[in-house]
Amino acid sequence: MSVIEARRPWSDTAKAYALNAPAMIVIALLVAYPIVYSFWVSLQRNNLKRPRAKRFIGLENYRSLLTDDAFLSALRVSALFVLVVLGFTVVLALILALVLNERFRGRGLLLSLALLPWAMPGVVNGLMWRTIFDAKTGALNGLLSQLGLIDTYHAWLTSGTGAFFFTAMAQVWNTLPFSVIILLAGLSTIPSELYDAAKVDRAGAFQRFGQVALPWLLHPLLIVLILETMNAFRAFDTIYVLTGGGPGDATTTIALLDVQTVLTFTDFGLGSAYAWVITAITLLISIGYIGLLYRKGNFEV
Amino acid sequence: MELNRRQILKYAALGASLPVTSSLLSACSSGDDAGGASDGTVKFEGWDYEANLVQQNLDRFRQQNSIKVDYTPITSAQYVQKVVAEFTGGGGPDALYVYDDSLAAWVEGGYLQPLDGMAGVDDVYAGIFPGNAEAMTYQGKKYGLPYYTDSNSLTYNAGILAKAGITKPPASLEELEAQALKIKNAGILEYPIGLPAQLSDTWWSWVWALVHGSNGNFFGTDQAPIMNSTDTVVKDVFAWLQQAANKSKVLDPASLQLLPVPVDNAMKAERYAYTIGARYAARDYNDPAKSKAAGMIKLALIPSLDGGVHGTVSNTRMYALAQDTDVKDNAFKLVTYLGGLDADKKPYTAKFWFMQRGLGFAYKSMAADPEVTASLKKFADPVVYAKLAEIARPRNVLTVPWYTEFEAELHKVVQQVLSNQTTPSAAVASLEQTATTLKKKFS
Repeated sequence: MSVIEARRPWSDTAKAYALNAPAMIVIALLVAYPIVYSFWVSLQRNNLKRPRAKRFIGLENYRSLLTDDAFLSALRVSALFVLVVLGFTVVLALILALVLNERFRGRGLLLSLALLPWAMPGVVNGLMWRTIFDAKTGALNGLLSQLGLIDTYHAWLTSGTGAFFFTAMAQVWNTLPFSVIILLAGLSTIPSELYDAAKVDRAGAFQRFGQVALPWLLHPLLIVLILETMNAFRAFDTIYVLTGGGPGDATTTIALLDVQTVLTFTDFGLGSAYAWVITAITLLISIGYIGLLYRKGNFEV
Repeated sequence: MELNRRQILKYAALGASLPVTSSLLSACSSGDDAGGASDGTVKFEGWDYEANLVQQNLDRFRQQNSIKVDYTPITSAQYVQKVVAEFTGGGGPDALYVYDDSLAAWVEGGYLQPLDGMAGVDDVYAGIFPGNAEAMTYQGKKYGLPYYTDSNSLTYNAGILAKAGITKPPASLEELEAQALKIKNAGILEYPIGLPAQLSDTWWSWVWALVHGSNGNFFGTDQAPIMNSTDTVVKDVFAWLQQAANKSKVLDPASLQLLPVPVDNAMKAERYAYTIGARYAARDYNDPAKSKAAGMIKLALIPSLDGGVHGTVSNTRMYALAQDTDVKDNAFKLVTYLGGLDADKKPYTAKFWFMQRGLGFAYKSMAADPEVTASLKKFADPVVYAKLAEIARPRNVLTVPWYTEFEAELHKVVQQVLSNQTTPSAAVASLEQTATTLKKKFS
């Protein structure tokens, strides 16, 4: 009897591991290793400008965040940014999804147009809005001026409040389509009989939305909330191009501060600590969402 | 030979891995080249200002010396970060451009080697302005040969001033505001003053120029912050900026969205009457092929708080030699060609840059060169130009390792002042706190 014939066949589990091994190795090398390494770096004093001062300092970078004014300010800005972006995104996405869920002429075209911003990279989105908000040649100034709403052109991004609001709107515009798709998919799974039954029960439009559509949308909403919170918390490119974090630190979010700390100040230790804090906060918020909404959502009819 | 399934898979995997293996090997070999190839090629890096002209000058060097140069221009906005990353990864250049504000950190990082004792270096340092020599020296050692230097001026459009009936540039900040108001009230320009005040990684020379212009400083000689002390120059300059931006509204609020190039373009399009920037920009502004304002742009001293004292800020860009270069002799020849003196004891490249682009020079001898003065007269008043060089001072915190962090905070604070988000008193207090914290953190 040959050796091959004597070998016992692999179990399904072993085969599954063997077949997935190449992908798992690549993921470990390209994803897991950098993540673990960045945590290791966050435990060090590690500024490329001062290689001789590099050493292990434990949780000192994390402790320093508690008294780091720049970090605390960026955290406040980020939290507000998430609230504003999330609020506008969810409300607008719900409205758009409800509209697009109806049958009407031109629905396909409107759906295609609504998806367009999603295809746009953040930097391009930032550049486009920057052109629109330009103080000298911006389309917004031109439009408002032609409508007779303003006498002279305004520099919209030069006040703290203006810069924050317009940056948040640019972010909403970019990420809205994704939320619309998710909610539209959720709406399309609602059996029409439920609406019919609600109509028989003389439920109005708002009641049908509150009693029929919303419970079915809790799971899609959960996905939207988690992903959009993560997106807004990590928002960088649009803000960087539009305001660079200014005026002052009015739009300096934690992601922007992180990039500045790592790339401009070359402080990889502190920058990695910032990145881990962003991760931890996002994780906590996601767990909170799941705890709050997951059990309430019900696919059973 | 009959192939079974196992053999087919094995050969397929081998074949698939070949491109990866070969690219890894080639990456390794290119790393060798970067550290100095066996043929003596010098790996040279600089920010991307006029890369074609740099290459043109390097071609001349190659013809004269038979030394190959592998030149890589890097975008200015990312220059510092990319070079630091390269040195950290062990693949840095052999010779490179260095900003005066990066010198201390890069020496501390072990990226650069001193040039003391190398041929001709002492002659170079003896022939340049003391401020430039100081900017290229760290802890008593010489690290660079000069690329260019410049100081800031008030740059104004004499044509626009004339239309408003103004015959001479302002000497004080109060006068500058009054003149700008006159232009504004005459309906010539809504915002006569424009400054590049968008957050960026490069220094805001105009803030330093305004502070130095009134004989003030952010730091004392021991590099302790003095902006919030009895020396009120910084606070008063901030107060003037806030007033010009928010009360008299002569300073364009869109400045907060402007980088230097758009301000240059606005000056050339006659959309601003005044700005503060490097002297060499006047050459571009006065070029009829590029500028509507050609012939109208003049330089003046930086207006001060009292109109009596004057000063400005200077900067020095230099060529330096990497600590770990394997082609030290060739790299030093290149650095000498670019920043030093030629066989005739003349600074060829420094003159090349002035004649080509009007870049300021560190060599005292060039001020008397007839070709240089003739070229200078085409875009600036040589007397004002020389006076600005004479009164210019470099920033006195360039040797601290936390300079970049301070400069970034300065930008934010000045933006807050301009956009009325803070008061001048709070601004200087905030800057003092930042400097104190940074000093402690880096101690």
